[in-house]
Amino acid sequence: MIQKKICLLGASGVGKTSLIRQFVESIFSDKYLTTIGVKVDKKSVEINGQEVKLMLWDIEGNDRYHMFQEKYLRGASAYIIVVDQTRSPSLIEGIDIHTLLQQNHDCPTVLAINKSDLTENWHWGEKELNDYKSLFDLSYHTSAKTGDNVETMFSELAERLLQESVQ
Amino acid sequence: MSTLFEDLSLGMDLAVLELVADKPTTFLLKSGNNGWIEDLLPHCSSSEPFEIGDDLPYLEDFLIDAETVWSASAPGRIKSGLWTESLADRRDLNLEAIAIRQNDHQLLVIRNSSEEFAYRQRTLQSARELMIANDKLMEQHEYLHTRLLSILSKPKNAAEALAPLSSAIENAGFAVIILDHQRQPVIENSAVIELFEQYDNSYHKQPRPSEIILKLMRSQLPEYDRIFETSSSWSGELCWINPPHTLKWLKTAIYPVKSEPHGIKNWVIFISDISNIKHLLQRNEQLAMEDMLTQLPNRHAFWQTLEQRISQQRSFFLLYIDINEFRHLNEFYGHEEGDKLLVELGGRLQSALKKDDFIARVGGDEFAIILNDIESEPPCRQVTNRLLNLVEKPFISAQSNSYNVTLSIGAAGYPKDAQSVEELMKFVDLSAYNGRRNRQSTVQFYSHEMKEASRRRIQMEVELRHAILDKQFELHLQPILDLEDRRIIKAEALIRWNHPEHGMISPAEFIPVAEQSELIVALGRWVFEKTCSYSRQLQDNGTPLKISFNLSPVQIRDPELFSFIKSTIDKWQVDASLLELEITEGVLVDDYAKVLQLLNDIKALGITISVDDFGTGYSSLAYLKNLPLDHVKIDRSFVQDIVTDDNDKAIVLAVIAMAHNLNLSVIAEGVETNEQRDFLIDSQCNSAQGYLFSRPVPYEQLRSLL
Repeated sequence: MIQKKICLLGASGVGKTSLIRQFVESIFSDKYLTTIGVKVDKKSVEINGQEVKLMLWDIEGNDRYHMFQEKYLRGASAYIIVVDQTRSPSLIEGIDIHTLLQQNHDCPTVLAINKSDLTENWHWGEKELNDYKSLFDLSYHTSAKTGDNVETMFSELAERLLQESVQ
Repeated sequence: MSTLFEDLSLGMDLAVLELVADKPTTFLLKSGNNGWIEDLLPHCSSSEPFEIGDDLPYLEDFLIDAETVWSASAPGRIKSGLWTESLADRRDLNLEAIAIRQNDHQLLVIRNSSEEFAYRQRTLQSARELMIANDKLMEQHEYLHTRLLSILSKPKNAAEALAPLSSAIENAGFAVIILDHQRQPVIENSAVIELFEQYDNSYHKQPRPSEIILKLMRSQLPEYDRIFETSSSWSGELCWINPPHTLKWLKTAIYPVKSEPHGIKNWVIFISDISNIKHLLQRNEQLAMEDMLTQLPNRHAFWQTLEQRISQQRSFFLLYIDINEFRHLNEFYGHEEGDKLLVELGGRLQSALKKDDFIARVGGDEFAIILNDIESEPPCRQVTNRLLNLVEKPFISAQSNSYNVTLSIGAAGYPKDAQSVEELMKFVDLSAYNGRRNRQSTVQFYSHEMKEASRRRIQMEVELRHAILDKQFELHLQPILDLEDRRIIKAEALIRWNHPEHGMISPAEFIPVAEQSELIVALGRWVFEKTCSYSRQLQDNGTPLKISFNLSPVQIRDPELFSFIKSTIDKWQVDASLLELEITEGVLVDDYAKVLQLLNDIKALGITISVDDFGTGYSSLAYLKNLPLDHVKIDRSFVQDIVTDDNDKAIVLAVIAMAHNLNLSVIAEGVETNEQRDFLIDSQCNSAQGYLFSRPVPYEQLRSLL
């Protein structure tokens, strides 16, 4: 069985924990509970008959109370930058982390534009958003609440990682 | 060694493991017999070595860091940071690991950190909820603010202009009030009606939301008069207390919508009820006093501290610091960059202060500082110099552009200048306001003269607004003569203010005030319109004459400028080649690329361009070479002593030579004597204006000179 470490990163309150909970346990809670430190969840997915075990590192949100530490990325096969489409600064924060990591990490990257069940409430135009998306290997509009695109995101990422391992 | 393990685990909920092999994943349990250890490490044993593997990925990863400590020769330790493990029964364990090297032992301590975890979670939960609520609020404000201001600045009446936005205003998650220029409500959305709804059974007429908010501002903001008199914007918090049941905290922002000829067309007010956020803040005493963005003390903390200091009757100086042209920086680089600037600036200012001093962010781009135990101006000036030095270092934007900011600092001393909190605040606010929109950093110490000058300035601003409405301005024309044949070849349009009580007021007095208050845009437009009307009349009378008009840096920034010029020329059917634009060197340093584009566009219409007051500013050959210029005007200060001062002589000769090399013609200003004229003729200066030939005269008089 192949094992892959995937880190979820982004500003606080964007829904990293909720995306993992939705994916691993199919549970969603509207109540926001801030993550402290790191929690690692595991889930196996089957891709083309092959089992891939995903180690999902849920890392405390990046903000003035918690600076992102690059060491968490050690050994990661991919990372997902999660942003909240109701808060512009979360995208800026996400892009900042991505820019920092691009200097030292050459792994597949995903942009998850989360809370797609809520009305989009930021001022980015379509072109700007597409420019940001183009900085990533994959991008999805996800909703941890409805589950929209959550399974797809993790499965397609797993598939990509599997392909890379085979090559 | 057993003592070490006992010490380590004494009274602590932890497990101590010792590395037993070269491979840094094999351990023996040395101490700790809590139930959770077995749940976490089911194979752990004090007699049989066991492995830590990928079933505990976070801990396994930490062992890589741990190895650097264990393999070192010196004693040391490293912590893993908090992490959470879910046990098989779905219980969560909150843990932290510490790798220690001591007395040749390589230890791994795993601590149950549930208490620390719970404490951090409690604190950060409310802090982050607040931060997210604040982000969302700002997002909504900013969106509606930008759209409202752009729609309202179009020349329509507010109600009509707002039709396309009416549903956005109505459904905004916060209160919106739009006032006309006399502060009478034009629009009050449902949210504002609901916000100020009073459950009063009496038959008293309830005040309108706009009345309540203006009353709150008047009573709680020492800046109130200044904001309205000078058409400034403000944002901050107000507290609405309406006994017996109401106490609401209102995050409020007020913005002027400027237009000609009134100066002010509307006021837009946004109000959000942040009582819930305040309630959350109360759960964390420190946050209640803290500005969310800069983490400096907030306005509330500042007022408390200021009151406290006054009650202690110790001398201090109060500084009020305003970032010059912050709005333009914000518009140019974006709000995120503006926020970054505030954070960095706050940090820089703080680093220049002593421990005893106090700094707070008291408004959008305003900081206040209390300098303790300073009684006189000189030591206070030392501090302000330190602050300004720190700000001189450029700021770097996310796109790696470097830019500079300048500050206006107002300073007043207690008890020397004022004895009450409100008085002090009013003084420093006024002092800082006096320096605002300067390109340079300024420090203004409070003085009676300054107060008087500032009162006069604000009064003049108010009168200027009336003057625009009452058409108290006149446009005079000063002939410009060809020095070779003494013919009038051009005239410069110069504005004059004929005040009903004070008579003619010099432009030197009112133009700077107009520039600072942005009334210059309205004035400039009036001048251009009038210039076109005179040009039309001269053409109609068969005596066409070129007229030059002036634009200030503030007007150049007006995004509607070019379309205004073009439509006015069309309206008056003027031959554009009979118009000349005069710009000062200051315009060129503002935003070179933008100015170049504008000048090219203006030139394409057929208007010629001259650089005014040449020699007094920052001009360089590089500027002149690349701009579409036709003439250079030598400043009167050089012409004045041209006959007696060798330096001025040399400068004028150099300017003429340089301009001719660049194919520019030269106009000398302020020519008052025959000697000056003769020198200029000898030096091949092309044309001149000044009292020797004619003062600026009304249109009819100019016609008689032609």
